[in-house]
Amino acid sequence: MFSKKNKNNNDPTKTIPSTTCQTPVTLDNLKRVLANIDEAEIIERQTNNGQQVMMLYIRSLVNLERLNEAIVEPLISSSHLTIHEYMISSKVSRMITLEEAETHLLRGDVILYGMDHEEFWAVPLQNTLSRSIQQSGTETIIYGAKDSFSELLEQNITMIRRRIPLMNLKTESFTIGSISKTEVVILYIEGITNPDYVSIARKKIASIDFDQFLDSSQVAAFMEDHKHSVFPQFQETDRPDSCAFSLGIGKLVIMVGNTAYALIAPITFFHLFQSPEDYFLRWIISSFLRCIRYLSFIISVTLIPFYVAVTTHHYQMIPLQILFVLLESRSKLPFSPFWEAFLMLITLEIIKEASLRMPTKSGQTLGVIGGIVIGQATVEAGFASNVLIVLVGISAIASFLVPNYEVTKSNSLLQFILLLLAAYLGLFGILLGAIGILAHLNGLSSLKQPYFAPVAPFYLKEWKDLFIRAPLPWMKTRPEYLHPVQKWRMSRRR
Amino acid sequence: MENNTIEEIAPVIFWSLNQSDDRHMDISTLVPPLIHEKKRMLTLKVDLQKQGGKEFNLIYYRELKPGQLRVIVINEELARKGVLPLISTYLMDTDISQRLYLIISRGNFEEFMREQLNDQANLDYFLYRMLKHYEASNQGEMSILNLHQFKNKLFSPFADPYLPLFEVKKDNFTYKGTAMFRHDKMINMLPLMDDQIFQLIDNDHYLKLFAIPSSDVTLGHVRSKVDIDLDPAYKNMTIKIDLTGRLEEYRGNKNLHEREELAKLHQNIEKYLVSRTSDLLKTMQQWKIDPLEIGTRTLHPFSKPISDSEWLKLWEKMKLKIEYRLTIQPLVNVNQ
Repeated sequence: MFSKKNKNNNDPTKTIPSTTCQTPVTLDNLKRVLANIDEAEIIERQTNNGQQVMMLYIRSLVNLERLNEAIVEPLISSSHLTIHEYMISSKVSRMITLEEAETHLLRGDVILYGMDHEEFWAVPLQNTLSRSIQQSGTETIIYGAKDSFSELLEQNITMIRRRIPLMNLKTESFTIGSISKTEVVILYIEGITNPDYVSIARKKIASIDFDQFLDSSQVAAFMEDHKHSVFPQFQETDRPDSCAFSLGIGKLVIMVGNTAYALIAPITFFHLFQSPEDYFLRWIISSFLRCIRYLSFIISVTLIPFYVAVTTHHYQMIPLQILFVLLESRSKLPFSPFWEAFLMLITLEIIKEASLRMPTKSGQTLGVIGGIVIGQATVEAGFASNVLIVLVGISAIASFLVPNYEVTKSNSLLQFILLLLAAYLGLFGILLGAIGILAHLNGLSSLKQPYFAPVAPFYLKEWKDLFIRAPLPWMKTRPEYLHPVQKWRMSRRR
Repeated sequence: MENNTIEEIAPVIFWSLNQSDDRHMDISTLVPPLIHEKKRMLTLKVDLQKQGGKEFNLIYYRELKPGQLRVIVINEELARKGVLPLISTYLMDTDISQRLYLIISRGNFEEFMREQLNDQANLDYFLYRMLKHYEASNQGEMSILNLHQFKNKLFSPFADPYLPLFEVKKDNFTYKGTAMFRHDKMINMLPLMDDQIFQLIDNDHYLKLFAIPSSDVTLGHVRSKVDIDLDPAYKNMTIKIDLTGRLEEYRGNKNLHEREELAKLHQNIEKYLVSRTSDLLKTMQQWKIDPLEIGTRTLHPFSKPISDSEWLKLWEKMKLKIEYRLTIQPLVNVNQ
């Protein structure tokens, strides 16, 4: 395994070739490749010492200002013998095969062809189109760093490297997707992250065979152990501090080109409930907030099914005073509790989805219409009971407390499953569903590591960062279930 | 599984059971439980309770469900005949909670309900709330028992159950005292003064207010600590009661600022309490009942328990020694 790793380290850039045959690069071949590309430029120049040089590039990918500074001006003014010596660029590489040349062209490099020596050189001059570093849109926090990833892979890696200035922070890059040629980079800290995880991730990425990847979640979909589960097996985050923290405790981070979200693995179910802010606030407050998150997850999944179960099957359980309220609010409804709840939940999902897709200003209007007009009007029209509207509201708000958006989405699905079970079997149905969900969670894995750790398999010591977040000085070791190479988080341990 | 959505059912809060004639009984309830519907009283003459439950459904558009049944009002006549058959029915029904209050009514409960219906819309619910309120510990007002507690006392060899007794008149529903049972049959009732002592020595060990008119005094927040001791031959019983409380009202002619006079008052109250308690216990001996569960004190580890009939014989003849130790805060300055 290690020998394999070393081999990979020597050759970090692995390109999964679109064609297996290796064609030598020639000018004719290149011209054929660039034929019918309108933005392709082929420019011929003569240097000071009379050499003929040809520049080939795709205009839309190249930074034209830099082209003048780095290539055109040196070419005209210099009198070196070989052309690559003119270039004001840190990375000039020579090309042998046509495939290499294609890759460089598509990456935004300028290809220089020295006609006298018949040499091909690639000079990286990508047009670094990117938005500025902004605040995270999905994982907002009050304290802590405000920067988030953008679509530029190198910039993203820089943000992590600034947080982990270590030579041990290793990166391995791959190219996947026959159309998109997406660059995927695995980041891990050598000497902390278990090398098994790296090798599993490496194998999984190498085995991906698909044409187009536009988002990191698509990469995750190919790498997941359980493709039919509603629970995410990779944590997607756009926060560099989250990534740095995860790397520090022995996880690995997978970054995908042109995506503002990195994938963190291996994760457990409980990681999805942890916010970066948990580690910035005082431990008692963090623990309280974390418990509230778990509670709200349970509420969001079970509250409506519980209402249906109780109003359909177990009216004996309801305290008399609440029974009065329920009876009165339900007395004029034409629907059974199941249909009432089902229709309201579907409506809620429609409103949720619509408000996400709408521009911000229309979204506000939608909130007013959805919340006030539909909510109140359905009660007045007699389609839903007051009590249910209250419960739907509580469960909807509770579902948003979980920091991970994907879990919020899976909540709704679980809610519908439990709703069906509750309608047919009452509380036993909910119990059955809960057992099913727990069994499913227990069976899941992320990068082949147990998803329900440290509860099952049981790691008592790790409970200090599970439902409660113990004071930071108590967290002397990295999570045991991640099997880090270096267990201790402190350099001088007594 | 039955699938009854709550709007299709009418949860029954109380059932009132009355002796109608030798064979039959009247069973009544109020429907519907919904707040905004006009209530009416349903009464049926039936042989059996469950038959009543079934026949109610034939005259009412919703299905009556006893799942929320909270109060059973048993008429005194019926209680004197024995409540075991009634109780067993409720104990067997898994729908019915054991937190069900049993009360004995003296008078025509149905008539009272009918009269009050126009004035109070949720009479049945208020009745339940009242009992629930008085069930809470340290309330020091009534002796309330639920089905579960009643069953435990009924089937224990060394205990006799009791229930609250309410007197019902056309426009009044008043707590009158505690109905005492021998096994499942009601024997008699403890009137209010005895009932207060019963509260002190057994039920709550607490009385919010304890009025003693003969000594012109009202004690408040009275708490008792009872120590019962039986001699090894079970011929004598010593009951020591530590009472603490405060003097809340005094209308006599003693000057309580004087220490001696206050001591006299203490003595008077103690004397009165001893005689009343002695009377109460003797009454229990005469009635051959043991609601205080004194018999359980004959149980010892590694020894064979005596039978309940044997205990009753011993209890009847037992000599009683009663001691009261009164600690009263006078709430006035007392001169040395």
